[in-house]
Amino acid sequence: MPTISAHGIVTRLPDGFEGRIFVRPATVGVTYPVGQFATFPIPDDTGDFGSGAVTLMGPSDVFATLFEYGPESLGTALFARQGRPAGFSEADFSPMTLRRGIPGQSGTQWFFTESGRPFSFYAVLGSHALRPVLVPRVNTLLSSLTLSPAVSGLPPTSPAWN
Amino acid sequence: MVALVIVSTFVVLLLGILVAGLLRSHADILRSLHELGVGVGDPSAAPAAVPVDLTTPVSAPALGAAPGIAGVTPSGDARAIAVDNSDHLTLLGFLSSGCTGCAAFWDALQEPGRLQLPDPTRVVIVTKGPDREVPSEVRSRTTGRVPVVMSTDAWVDYQVPGSPFFVLVDGATGRKVGQGVASQVEQLAELVRRADHDRSHAGGGGQGRGEESLSGPAREAAADDVLAAAGILPGDPSLYPRTLDDVFPHGRAVPAE
Repeated sequence: MPTISAHGIVTRLPDGFEGRIFVRPATVGVTYPVGQFATFPIPDDTGDFGSGAVTLMGPSDVFATLFEYGPESLGTALFARQGRPAGFSEADFSPMTLRRGIPGQSGTQWFFTESGRPFSFYAVLGSHALRPVLVPRVNTLLSSLTLSPAVSGLPPTSPAWN
Repeated sequence: MVALVIVSTFVVLLLGILVAGLLRSHADILRSLHELGVGVGDPSAAPAAVPVDLTTPVSAPALGAAPGIAGVTPSGDARAIAVDNSDHLTLLGFLSSGCTGCAAFWDALQEPGRLQLPDPTRVVIVTKGPDREVPSEVRSRTTGRVPVVMSTDAWVDYQVPGSPFFVLVDGATGRKVGQGVASQVEQLAELVRRADHDRSHAGGGGQGRGEESLSGPAREAAADDVLAAAGILPGDPSLYPRTLDDVFPHGRAVPAE
């Protein structure tokens, strides 16, 4: 059960999960940290919300993305919720809540602010029918996350002189 | 005088036999050293170097469970790789930025298609952590095509003696199926293919996670279940054919002219 940590995000990965926490190189503007976690091999070219990965999922797999938004999102209605959800129920997952609709799968997405940082947590189940088994795995992953305040007010990819 | 000649001749013959025996023993030792990859003398006289030892579950005792790998990427991001979450083979390449023997593997492992590894085989490159490696040196060697994880802990967990070093893991069982050093890329690819072949024939390949191949009484019981489901019970006449017509009740196929 390895622990990974970067960009103010720490997780002690539950059994069977792998993951990565990264900041995508900015082509335009500023980019912010993304955490991706899955019970199957995550391709390196996976999109922020799982494009290129969710098509590889088996019925018993789980994929989740923790996506940080810019500080301009703080205080907006979308991120008014303080703190991540305590846990999900089976009713929180719907086939309609998928970035890309794939038959059999279902998902959930939540927006919140924690440690002064605006996040969304998006999770996909490989099989909607297996919610009783898969939702607890998502909840275990969710509870394993530790989110720290941003180190500084500067954008993560901004250059800085010492 | 005649006796002296006879004795001298006998002594010379005896010494000749002893020298021949010593030469043969020496040749055996040299041949063994060459086969181990530590031979001396003319390398061209040695067989193709086989310093890789990707043993298989069929021919060798189990190498044990393969732990997950967690560390950082050369750009400072975090990365954890699980090696037991798919039916794939995972080839872990433990490389260093400064080792001359690693150069060819840095290039080849980041183009798995060129290696013609069994499909699908996941390739992961593991270097020591930033405490033992220079991230910028590692970054200059990465192409972004395969995961590169910097983790000194992984080197300790896998007891890596030096680089380059390779470990092959069966994702269906989460266990190592081979490990060793290699000097040539083609040699490594061939041994991965061979390990995959052995794994398939041992019943370990192509099965779902958590499933195991059956053997012995369990296999017999499974066969009985299948026969019973088809309505063939113990004592069924079809189990005791006496003529070819019993085996082919609907007639035999006749080869086309």
